[in-house]
Amino acid sequence: MNIKDIMITDVIVITPEHTINEALQLMLEKKIRHLPVVNGDNDIIGIISDRDIRDASPSVFETDSSQYLHKPVKEIMVTDVMTALPYDFVEEAAYTMTEYHISCLPIEEDGKLIGIITEKDLLRTLVKLTGADLPSSRLEVEVPNITGMLSEVASLVKLHNINIQSVLVYPSKEVKKKILVFRLQGIDLRRLTKSLKEKGYSILWPNDMEMKE
Amino acid sequence: MNFDAAYIYSPEQLNYKFSDEHPFNQKRLILTKDLLEKVHAIDPKHVLPARMATDEELLYIHDPDYVEAVKASSSGKFRSSYSLTYGLGTEDTPIFPNMHEAAAWLVGGTLSAVDLVFEHGYKHALNLGGGLHHGFRGKASGFCIYNDSSIAIEYMRRKYNARVLYVDTDAHHGDGVQWAFYDDPNVCTLSIHESGRFLFPGTGNVNERGDGEGYGYSFNVPLEAFTEDESFLFAYEKTFRAVADYFKPDVIITQNGADSHYYDPLTHLCGTLNLFHQIPKLAHELAHQYCEGRWIAVGGGGYDIWRVVPRAWAAIWLEMTNQSMKGKPIPSSWIDKWQKETENVLPASWLDEPTLYPKIPRKEVITQKNERTVMNTLKLIHDII
Repeated sequence: MNIKDIMITDVIVITPEHTINEALQLMLEKKIRHLPVVNGDNDIIGIISDRDIRDASPSVFETDSSQYLHKPVKEIMVTDVMTALPYDFVEEAAYTMTEYHISCLPIEEDGKLIGIITEKDLLRTLVKLTGADLPSSRLEVEVPNITGMLSEVASLVKLHNINIQSVLVYPSKEVKKKILVFRLQGIDLRRLTKSLKEKGYSILWPNDMEMKE
Repeated sequence: MNFDAAYIYSPEQLNYKFSDEHPFNQKRLILTKDLLEKVHAIDPKHVLPARMATDEELLYIHDPDYVEAVKASSSGKFRSSYSLTYGLGTEDTPIFPNMHEAAAWLVGGTLSAVDLVFEHGYKHALNLGGGLHHGFRGKASGFCIYNDSSIAIEYMRRKYNARVLYVDTDAHHGDGVQWAFYDDPNVCTLSIHESGRFLFPGTGNVNERGDGEGYGYSFNVPLEAFTEDESFLFAYEKTFRAVADYFKPDVIITQNGADSHYYDPLTHLCGTLNLFHQIPKLAHELAHQYCEGRWIAVGGGGYDIWRVVPRAWAAIWLEMTNQSMKGKPIPSSWIDKWQKETENVLPASWLDEPTLYPKIPRKEVITQKNERTVMNTLKLIHDII
């Protein structure tokens, strides 16, 4: 999945000449925490967050503390902007954001701003990848960490004429094992799980493990 | 016996049959009615026929091309492309001869129930053949072809301009009905089910609250796997009372899937028969409190057809007609008649023994999590009030 598939294209921006107060009001009004700063040609020249504004605000003990609000955005904006490209993979963007402790990435094409993604968009994507937006059941199988296991399990699913909605593969706590998580378009997986058990697969869900503790 | 409730049944409802091995088995209808007859809780004058829904009625909800595909599959003109496009001919919803007619009879039963309540002086009506809540506008899903409840709700909207509260206690999320009225502020849906993280169809999250004008008219309580009676009933009572008070319906329609029971082979909840006595009780009370008694109840899931469904569904009729079986056994005449057909030992009492299942190790955590879910579900109502 590429960034362009999940990015917000209707970006709310500000120019370097606007005041800090205007930036703050815009953030409050639109309920957002970041504003890319662009010039008239839509080139990304900076970014400003609610935290930048807070950091720039003087101590509450100072008199006449609201003066700074009338200064232009360009005085406090971050100019070393971390951006992503539309064809970056979603996981690359997630990595960049965690690595650099940032919670939003403007997306650029030839230096122009074309979109933005935030932590929220990435989380929403994660929910979509791991969850269900079409009727489906969860199947979780533990398999040996060797070639061809996904294909073997998938062909059993196919034999039962069940469509696969999504698959996740992740490492098990046991180094020699992997866990496959499917979302399958079916309400009754009993015949499939029976076949899987007959082939010796360990089924983590659905099961009644809890009852036997 | 003179009741203000009607029991809908027609033998044609039994024709909704995918195969001998398929878990969705309408023998449940025979077993339930026979149990009620054996305890003299029903007599022929309470039983009124279903009818076959017309094409026009099916099209209240379903897409014309989908209905055509069902009809084609029904009469031997199935195409393999239907399985992907229409969910027909899949492992869950295989095709069978005359499936269109069979499915339309289940819909017609729920429509008959509606008419009896709105036009013929009945306060309550029960169509156990209905409750096919997974049916989508253009797709069969989860054993359901036509969505009788959605059609009946739309029928009540058009014919009687009623504000409808739909309450679904099947272990599976009532997705088909929810999506059919997701943007409609005159139809409120409340579904209490095993969480989609564990169970089909995967949807039914707390944050599915409706869309556009319908925002705030869709409620979901996804329960943890291995939830027991007490926690289930806490969630049910708390949300049903709050939603009824907030929405002020003209009529309540309840979907009474009986698959939240510990014995059910498809789900992971730990309900007992007590649950299925308490569920209709509250529906009955609230129907009188808010809707001058107007209450339509339908069936739904329930895949332990011998030990669970007949007792659970009989309990709805007993509640509707203010009858009680307290202290009475399941009649041996019923057990003797059916025991030879199943390897399961048929139950001898109306409620289950407390030793039905072993102690649930995570009971506390499950209860706590469910309480939290209920608060989230009702957050919207609490914010408004």
